[in-house]
Amino acid sequence: MKPWIATRPRERQAVETKLPTHVWLPAELRPHFDAPGAPDPLLLWPTLLLVGWGLVMVYSASIAVAAEQYGTPYFFLIRQLFFVAIGMGVAWWTYRLPLRWWEKNSHWLFVASLVLLILVLIPGIGKTVNGARRWIALGPLNLQPAEIVKFTIALFASHYTVRRFHAMQSFFAGFLPFLVVVAGVGSLLLLQPDFGSLVVMSVVAFGILFMGGLSWRIVGLLAAAAIFVFAALVVVSPYRMQRFVAFLDPWSDPLGKGYQLTHALIAFGRGEWLGVGLGGSIEKLFYLPEAHTDFILAVIGEELGWAGVVTVALLFGILVWRMVEVGRRLVHVEAYFPGLAVIGVALGIGVQAVINMGVNVGLLPTKGLALPFMSYGGSALVMNLLAVAFVMRAEWELRSLCRRNPV
Amino acid sequence: MTHDLAIGAFRLAVPLPRLVFVLGLFGLFVALVVGRAGWLVAAERHFLQAQAEQRFERVVTVPAARGRLLDRNGTILAQSVETHSIWVDPKLWQDATSEQVEALARVLATTPDAITAQIARGGSRFAYLKRHLDRQTAETILALEIPGVSALPEPKRVYPYRELVATIVGITDIDGNGLEGLERGFNKRLQGHPGKKVLVQDRQGRPIREGEWLVPVRAGEDLILSLDLRIQAAALNAVKNAVTEFQAKGGAAVVIDAKSGEVLAMANWPTFDPDARAQLDWNEVRNRALTDSYEPGSVVKPILVALALEQNVVRPETPIDVRGGVIQVSGFSIRDAHASDRVLTVAEVIQKSSNVGVVKIAQKLDPQALWQHYRRFGFGERPEIPFAGATAGHLFPAQRLKPIEVATMAFGHGMSASLLQVAGAYQALANDGCRLPITFVRLESPPSCSQQQRVISARTARTVRAMLEKVTDVGGTGTRAQVAGYTTAGKTGTARKVEHGQYVHKYVASFVGYAPATDPRIVVAVMVDEPNAQKGYYGGTVAAPAFAEIVRQALPALGVLPDQPVQVVASRAPRG
Repeated sequence: MKPWIATRPRERQAVETKLPTHVWLPAELRPHFDAPGAPDPLLLWPTLLLVGWGLVMVYSASIAVAAEQYGTPYFFLIRQLFFVAIGMGVAWWTYRLPLRWWEKNSHWLFVASLVLLILVLIPGIGKTVNGARRWIALGPLNLQPAEIVKFTIALFASHYTVRRFHAMQSFFAGFLPFLVVVAGVGSLLLLQPDFGSLVVMSVVAFGILFMGGLSWRIVGLLAAAAIFVFAALVVVSPYRMQRFVAFLDPWSDPLGKGYQLTHALIAFGRGEWLGVGLGGSIEKLFYLPEAHTDFILAVIGEELGWAGVVTVALLFGILVWRMVEVGRRLVHVEAYFPGLAVIGVALGIGVQAVINMGVNVGLLPTKGLALPFMSYGGSALVMNLLAVAFVMRAEWELRSLCRRNPV
Repeated sequence: MTHDLAIGAFRLAVPLPRLVFVLGLFGLFVALVVGRAGWLVAAERHFLQAQAEQRFERVVTVPAARGRLLDRNGTILAQSVETHSIWVDPKLWQDATSEQVEALARVLATTPDAITAQIARGGSRFAYLKRHLDRQTAETILALEIPGVSALPEPKRVYPYRELVATIVGITDIDGNGLEGLERGFNKRLQGHPGKKVLVQDRQGRPIREGEWLVPVRAGEDLILSLDLRIQAAALNAVKNAVTEFQAKGGAAVVIDAKSGEVLAMANWPTFDPDARAQLDWNEVRNRALTDSYEPGSVVKPILVALALEQNVVRPETPIDVRGGVIQVSGFSIRDAHASDRVLTVAEVIQKSSNVGVVKIAQKLDPQALWQHYRRFGFGERPEIPFAGATAGHLFPAQRLKPIEVATMAFGHGMSASLLQVAGAYQALANDGCRLPITFVRLESPPSCSQQQRVISARTARTVRAMLEKVTDVGGTGTRAQVAGYTTAGKTGTARKVEHGQYVHKYVASFVGYAPATDPRIVVAVMVDEPNAQKGYYGGTVAAPAFAEIVRQALPALGVLPDQPVQVVASRAPRG
């Protein structure tokens, strides 16, 4: 299979890789992969830093809970190390997989992820934790289909936008079919329920459409609809509204509904500007629930202070900006599908990071979203690493194209 | 590449405004998060940290370690050691299985029923099961993992020398509060102040680290007592032997440093074992040397004579007519134990302990002055010592002293005092007329003598002492108080006891003296209560040997050199 951006064989040699090519692979799969050059450092390093730092913080945040519940302080660290290894392996091959393969198979991938999303709802296959059926048990590991959908929705939406570009101004021909698909996926997510993933998935889907030139009229319509639904909720059931905004004043019920958030806030207050020192968190000693998953930023804030929070935000900022820039350039050179998909990945990671951080500091209601790359959790880590590798691959193909055809 | 061209004439480009919009939105949210985190630190830090304290911190009371009691040479007489008390939360205890309860009963050497009864006596969430267990037993019990059973560290008071110092050191109750003796008297200083400390704990209540002190703990003082364990042992042995030999009800001895007023030993027999609480007989716990007053008898005679000398009423060689051995005062006959057929000098009155002689001297004195004089020597006044039960003794009221009262006071009757008071009075004589406060704490340097403490002139004191040396000499009543190598001096006392207002044939035999007589270093007072009259009841017979035994051991212990030649069988080495 040829790379998505065609190159002539002679020129192909000129950009031959510096990376090792003699990696084990079954013979029948070998033709799918090639050997690209070194990845973009602005994508690579923020990712590696976030993952490496995440390992340290997962260990630090989970040490007491792991020792208490599993008898070893390394329980979560070892598992997360294993997930990183898998994620790195997946990313390794993803980087060697030409973009053309993704475009060609995007439908199948999307359908496969939908199948998983349906499978997880079937009792006996899906595993319920805390009232939410989100995981498919695979031996000792758990697969979270929602994490996969967050990526495949980007492939689907990009592909859809590219194929229906001419219809982007039309509501019925362009938008409605898309809305039906996204609403279907959203319903599957709500059945789990996984409201957080629904938000991220929707932002990715509509964001790609928006970037792909969705008519402002439809955007306006969407916004109006959202406001209407929200207002209707407030009118119909004010208590829902109250529960929704309860996060704004966690101190009204600090030991009940506000328990988790008040402890997260206390963590930031204790950490001050430079933190109490790595390992010094008290919140992680059973006070703050989900310290090593959804509330890992609070532990960072406590142990490394505001400086740690700013550093995390900066790393995500660099990563997201770089991804968007890569996407923009891809579209600029008429590589529409990868360009939009890359922007979708950027939106997904960016939105999830912002929501998670917003929850941690009490700007948003608690919705069970993990911090990409850093929080404990295998499916999310592997899928995020895959997504970044996909962006790196796109950047590489863009780079090799520009080298041959300088603008 | 065909489907790429499906876009046809359109050229798709991401519109820059939309890009800016999305990236701007993202940037805005990131800035909001960072700003909000900064706001939490900058503005709400104090509130959040106060909340943290509320949730993480717990104030614990840290008990102060009780101070030790040491003898003057640093030997530990009482100290607290860590033990473990087992307690039960009766609510959780209900989940205990019967096998567990039986296993617990085996470890505690009791029955399950007794344990149930014990728990029923406690509170609803706390009941002691067994207190002051050693670590191993406590760990054995905890290893049974019975619901609701926990251990609590608790100090226990131990007394290494047990009965030797028991009546002085006293005891504490099970919670470590002084009950008796110096443990009670010095309780405030020994117990210190419990501290309050902030403990940072995890959600399970396990301490993570220790925070600041709200109230710093102040450990109890270690008190170095004036006691000398060697002299104490000698005194206790001497008293015990005297009591045993003369089949007496009890006895006591007090040894005071003549130059400092420090109590070097205070022995009582019978005594008790502070570790055997169950069989505690409160009669044995009593420190009879200072709680019991008795009629001191003849031992006060030298003090009376001291006043007569001080006021120049008599001189040592002044003759006193004691012939016949009886004198009538207000219709009462006062007799001498051994009637003299000749006129005695004042010195001989003391030596022979003539009642008639001292009554005649007393008749020459102003009764008020005599009363004041006795009072200055500490009679009728509660000594300022840290013992709750210390008696003041008794003197007739000063206002209306009748002649008979003055007469009986002259030979130590009709008044009462504790053995410690008597020893204190003799300390003044031995210390050239300076009566120092009695102390149970070691002094760093001997106190200087203030004007108030000077009860008689040094000259008078020496004159009286010269008379007292005769008592232990040939012809005196206290010859058995002699000690090889050291000069001794003192006064015998034999007082009849009063029961229901009548004098009965029960005696208190005593000997009070000091040594070396030439330069007194220690004052020793010995009292034997109700010796078997068949075996002897005179102070010179019953108490003086005990005095001698104490002096014989105490002076070398204090490093006092012999002041009189000891008869040594000299063996001359043969010359070449």
